Amino acid sequence: MTDDILNVRGWVESASQFLAEATVGQSRHWGFVDSVAFFLTELIMAIVIFGAIMNTLLVLLWMERKLLGRFMDRRGAVTSLRSLWVGENGVTAGEWWNQLPFGVGKPIGGINRALNRIAGNDHELEAVRRVQNRSYHGVWWLFPGFFQNLADGMKFLTKEHMVPEKSDRFVYEVAPFLIIATTVMCFTFIPLGPHFFSNNSEMSILFLMAVFSVAPLGVFFAGWSSNNKYTLLGGIRSAAQLTAYEIPLLVTVLSVVVISGSFNMIEVIEFQANSGVWNIFLLPLGGLLFLVVMVAEVERIPFDMPEAEAELVEGWWTEYGGMRWGLMFAAEYLRTYAACLLFAHFFLGGWEAPFEDTIPFISMVPHVLWVFLKAWFMFIFFVWFRAALHRVRTDQILEFGWCYLLPLSLVNLAMAAALRLWVYDGVAGEWPILVPILITSIGLALFVLLAIDEDPEALAAQTRPYSVQTTDAAGPGQHRE
Amino acid sequence: MAKELSADQIQSAAEALVGSVAEKFTGSATAEVRHHTGGRRKNAYVYIDVEAAAWRDLATWLAKSHKVDHCSMITGIHWPEKADATWQVVAHLMRTGVRNPGVVSGRVHEIKVDIDALVGVDVPLEFEISMTLAETREPSVPSVADIWVGADWNEKETWDLVGIEFEGHVGMRRVLLPHDSPTGYHPLQKQHKLRYHDFNEMYDDAQGFGRKPEDVGRVK
Amino acid sequence: MAEMWISMGPQHPMTHGLWTLKVKVDGETVVDTEPDLGYIHRGVEKICEARDFTQITTYCDRLCYASANTWSHAWIYAAEDLLEVEVPERAEYIRMVAVELQRIASHLMWLGAYCPDVGNLTGMVWCLREREMMMDLLQELGGSRMHYNFPRVGGVKRDLPIGFAMRCRAKLKLFLDRIQEYEAILDESTIFLVRTQGVGYAKAEEMINHGVTGPNTRAAGHDYDVRWAHPYSIYDELDWSPAVERPSIKGSDCYDRYRVRVEEMRQSALMVLEGLDKMPGGSETHHESGDPAILGKAPARAAEGKTGFHHFEDSRGESMFYIAGGGEARGKHPYRVSIRSPMFITIPYAAKCMIGYKIADIPAIMGSFDPCIGETDR
Repeated sequence: MTDDILNVRGWVESASQFLAEATVGQSRHWGFVDSVAFFLTELIMAIVIFGAIMNTLLVLLWMERKLLGRFMDRRGAVTSLRSLWVGENGVTAGEWWNQLPFGVGKPIGGINRALNRIAGNDHELEAVRRVQNRSYHGVWWLFPGFFQNLADGMKFLTKEHMVPEKSDRFVYEVAPFLIIATTVMCFTFIPLGPHFFSNNSEMSILFLMAVFSVAPLGVFFAGWSSNNKYTLLGGIRSAAQLTAYEIPLLVTVLSVVVISGSFNMIEVIEFQANSGVWNIFLLPLGGLLFLVVMVAEVERIPFDMPEAEAELVEGWWTEYGGMRWGLMFAAEYLRTYAACLLFAHFFLGGWEAPFEDTIPFISMVPHVLWVFLKAWFMFIFFVWFRAALHRVRTDQILEFGWCYLLPLSLVNLAMAAALRLWVYDGVAGEWPILVPILITSIGLALFVLLAIDEDPEALAAQTRPYSVQTTDAAGPGQHRE
Repeated sequence: MAKELSADQIQSAAEALVGSVAEKFTGSATAEVRHHTGGRRKNAYVYIDVEAAAWRDLATWLAKSHKVDHCSMITGIHWPEKADATWQVVAHLMRTGVRNPGVVSGRVHEIKVDIDALVGVDVPLEFEISMTLAETREPSVPSVADIWVGADWNEKETWDLVGIEFEGHVGMRRVLLPHDSPTGYHPLQKQHKLRYHDFNEMYDDAQGFGRKPEDVGRVK
Repeated sequence: MAEMWISMGPQHPMTHGLWTLKVKVDGETVVDTEPDLGYIHRGVEKICEARDFTQITTYCDRLCYASANTWSHAWIYAAEDLLEVEVPERAEYIRMVAVELQRIASHLMWLGAYCPDVGNLTGMVWCLREREMMMDLLQELGGSRMHYNFPRVGGVKRDLPIGFAMRCRAKLKLFLDRIQEYEAILDESTIFLVRTQGVGYAKAEEMINHGVTGPNTRAAGHDYDVRWAHPYSIYDELDWSPAVERPSIKGSDCYDRYRVRVEEMRQSALMVLEGLDKMPGGSETHHESGDPAILGKAPARAAEGKTGFHHFEDSRGESMFYIAGGGEARGKHPYRVSIRSPMFITIPYAAKCMIGYKIADIPAIMGSFDPCIGETDR
């Protein structure tokens, strides 16, 4: 196991051992001391991890809000960056560099103007600059807007809990419970550091996936029991979508397990640490698949048909109000967070710092920080998808999942098996450095080639300024000539 | 510069059509070329005064032989002071010349109309067709919703607001007024007065908020 | 699952206005539709019988609130036909500038609402951002951001403000660049194309028979436009051509209707720039309100028995006003004003277009026809 200065598990273990010996050990059930100590350790660690996750969830929500705003402000790159720390308390909203003494800030102003000119924000006219200037006000020394989401969450506590009259009351109440409980349960299995985990069982990945997959059932319960045609449609769409994407998800996870050799999450991470190559460089396709499938599993744009605002208002959670809705909303972000953490663990080496062996003193940094940084970095992709992409139609989502992602995940699994059996086990007991380099470069090249689609005929005919011919439109008999 | 139909083209097309109407519908319809302004332009249009009984024949003839393809509006006016023409139905039709673009070797080619090539029945033209009915409690004219589907909702609206029935119209119902409006309630008939402008009593200030003692007897 | 009727509306984010679309679905497929309009019927036609011609202009702004200038100008042309008024040329140019700027603003509002319909939240923010620029310009011209009451019988209420031409040119130049951003996020996105291509087929002849005109018909491949077919104003002096799309063999789909409107935005921007250059008297001169250069003489009463009408190219199709004048007794008030709204006729057609597609296509199809309920219900 990697060493870590933040040996939380060790402290908790010794504390609970002490506690158990002091209480149970003195009684006539002294044989159970170890079991009681273990139980206490697991319980406290689970609570600590849950606390850590919930507190850092605020970071995720803050990132979503701010990043989304800045993505939407594409041309205002510099303005948006500047807006992060613009504020009151004597700092002018805007050109804070002018406040620095001795004219020290003038070059910053020059750089700002130059960058704005490059980005096209160089209009002199005040009236036009109006659509380019976005300044935010906040306490300048703390990330502005950080506690907004906490306030939002507290607001939900003040809202009325309404139950529709003709709804199936029991199921209606059980559904959010199912969703949030199983989501929270997932976090027991996710380690945050080499000595910061709650559960280290042999089959932790399997159990995690099983618990993760119970939430679709809760979603369907919610949609059905609300006695509302819209929620019913949303619930059915959700059930279909999430079921369709479970299989590519599990197959992709299986490929990671195959290549790492164990169902135990911690061993997967240790394998990446010991072999020196993160799984993403061996299975880039797997990483991409995992990302896309997870976006569908947590029902974010582009796959948020079940709660598509334009058609179903809020979909399966229309009838919920107050904290029940707040918890389900939090559950969506918790699942996103779990997805990001899992990506970090499965593909990005978990808690291992990049170039851990070569950079000196880097192991002084608590490993939990690397886990969070990687997870937050992956979240940027989630937000990016949300800002840039459109909602895919339900039957197109299902077609995508069954007809494209499933075969790809099987291909990925085959590649993983081949790599593990023939290269790792067969050749050396380690990854020859050429293998990940080759795989990554081929993957990147393919990605770039496939990302450019040109329709030379349409370009020539000048029918469209940007010529993209699509896949055949989904739906019976509707094909574009 | 940009293309534009010239006034002469419209004028000659209008005159040709007026001539054909006179030939075909002597007695039941009178047509003439009138002009309406459009800012600084004066465009010719065809005005036809037709009897209600001959409306369908005229409509069919216009649609089939003269490519009048767009029913812009059908509306009704109630003239209670004229006993012999109490109900007037005005139909505005247009000949637009819109047709499906052709397919050449598997590719559709959009139509960009060449103004100078437009002759005769292809020239876009505006029509105003008016028919009147004498005083009656059940005004009714034939429906043309099967000739132009665009007339369908126009006729619904005319019946809903003015009260003129359209024989042969399938699915007549209230469109702008609530579905459960009283039978026989058609607000654009002149016996329904507008508050405040057609009454001498003060109805616009129901609670009397703005009234002061010196306003007694005054119309506000 | 059995067939069931779902009611979309009257409160629903998709409908872009207050109306109900009852949809009969079999699973996810739409089997039948029934639109239900009239929720914001304000009785404008009846009210107009008791207002004089200048007062009615304010009502017409509020017909389609997203596209106010096109409606008040449609009215004013009809009123000028009734009263037989001659309009000075400079006023025509100023009107054209106002109408085309309004057309851009209206299409931006449409695109800003259409993007979230298909799920793209960023497009909404970008389009509304540019619409702010247009509304600033229209505010300078007309005095308020949405309902301007801009034209008068015989001309316009006031001339171009000082400096307006410079600001207008700067903003439109920026706007023409920004259109490319919209194309980048929409045209280059496979998901958008998959959502809008192949969905909502409609053919030109069927559309015109149903009374659908404007960008919807131009998307189907024929460039009919009221501005050249039934000419009014000074459009022939500008270098423009109607934006027409090349549809597929089965007809025009949502994507074609989207492209037509983007091209129309470009066209209108170029038209305004050209109009500012060609304005008689120059775009920098400023006449006082009431100056004969911008306001012709207009009688207050119509001649006996005269009627007036005008077909106008509104942002959504062909709109029309028909006025029956009242004679001496009612001289200042028209006897009957009849308003033709393109959307009133298009919405039932769009509802028919949806049959056979999925529920998720409903916002895509309905949004692509650009409904505005203010003018529908009057």
